[in-house]
Amino acid sequence: MSKGSSGLSEQSYFVLAALLHGPLHGHAIIKKVVGLSEGRITLPVGTLYGALDRLAANGVIMIEREEIVNGRKRRYFRITEEGDRLVRAEAQRMQQAAAVVMGRPSLGATFA
Amino acid sequence: MTTLERRYRWLLRAYPKGYRADHGDEFVDVLLDSAKPAQALPAPREAFALIVGGIRTRIVAAAQGPAWTDGLHNGIVALAVLNLAVLIPYAGSIRLWLALSAAALVLILRGHVRPALPVAGIVAVKMTAITMGSPWLDAMLLPVFPDAWWAGPPLYGHGGPIAPLASNVLLVGGLLVLAARRDGPRARSWWWLAAVPLLAGSDPAWLDIAAGSPTAMARVCLEVVLLLGAALAGHLTADSRWAIAASVYLVPAIAVLYENIESIEHLTRQDIAHTTLLVVLVLAAAVVPFRARRRILL
Repeated sequence: MSKGSSGLSEQSYFVLAALLHGPLHGHAIIKKVVGLSEGRITLPVGTLYGALDRLAANGVIMIEREEIVNGRKRRYFRITEEGDRLVRAEAQRMQQAAAVVMGRPSLGATFA
Repeated sequence: MTTLERRYRWLLRAYPKGYRADHGDEFVDVLLDSAKPAQALPAPREAFALIVGGIRTRIVAAAQGPAWTDGLHNGIVALAVLNLAVLIPYAGSIRLWLALSAAALVLILRGHVRPALPVAGIVAVKMTAITMGSPWLDAMLLPVFPDAWWAGPPLYGHGGPIAPLASNVLLVGGLLVLAARRDGPRARSWWWLAAVPLLAGSDPAWLDIAAGSPTAMARVCLEVVLLLGAALAGHLTADSRWAIAASVYLVPAIAVLYENIESIEHLTRQDIAHTTLLVVLVLAAAVVPFRARRRILL
């Protein structure tokens, strides 16, 4: 699992990015992450809830509400201000890192 | 309940009971929503993630309460397991002491440190007496030979008295420290008892690794697995309790090397490699939590 300078794994980054769109429950987060990553990241349920537990324990997300659907509890998670700051800082860091490479001509262009 | 739900619920047993009671239904809900129509078998990726997630959750849940007392208790349990396992080949000759050692282990394991103290204390005195060749406390023919179906030297016939004494002093001293506290340690898993038959016949007081016996190899494998587990737990929780437990276990192992350093001709490369491996793994378990604290992994 790749990690940025903030210690944020790619999976947790996409979970936080999914929650920027508003509170979501587990299955909706999985679908949102698949969409945001263009199908590259499909979170298994055990991995998703492990990440949600860690993010919640560190105050990056919180439980917005609980609903009972078909007799089963469903938690909706919401990103906190700290989480918002963290994911935006990570996005900026990656953007700067990407600019280092993207701003240079490719080898093909150099030798053309 | 469908077959798939039943199978997923079985896999969810990797999680602690309380966690399962709180979130098991929610997990099943999401797992079934993610399943294909007519799917009867859990997806291997989901199954693997549930097992890994369950183990991780158990480790995180175990990091409760003061780290040093919990770690000390954990280390003492490991020593008590080993002390009992050592006696098993001699059961026919030392039934009373085997029973008392087993009782001490069960009491320590379940967190009853005060009742465990006199039991572990009297066993410690007797074992020290045996290593010194003195029949204290009860009449006993020394040396104590193993039962007919066990091959091997007499009890502590090759090693001691420093290493067994170090182990017992640490065990009883640790119990004294824990008994002085108002809040006793928590009960630990009965799974610790599974290590006793695995380690039966080990001689931690002697350099038995070079012999390459199945018992010695089982002990080394178990040590490596548990110490790697201690490092992993320290990495996941940034908590030092497992490193403290590992350090407690390491002390008698170092004492064996110290005790035999003079008879250098007995030291083999395997013995030195074994002790070095233990030291490296304990150091890794000690360092990992500090690294994890510097950088919270999300």
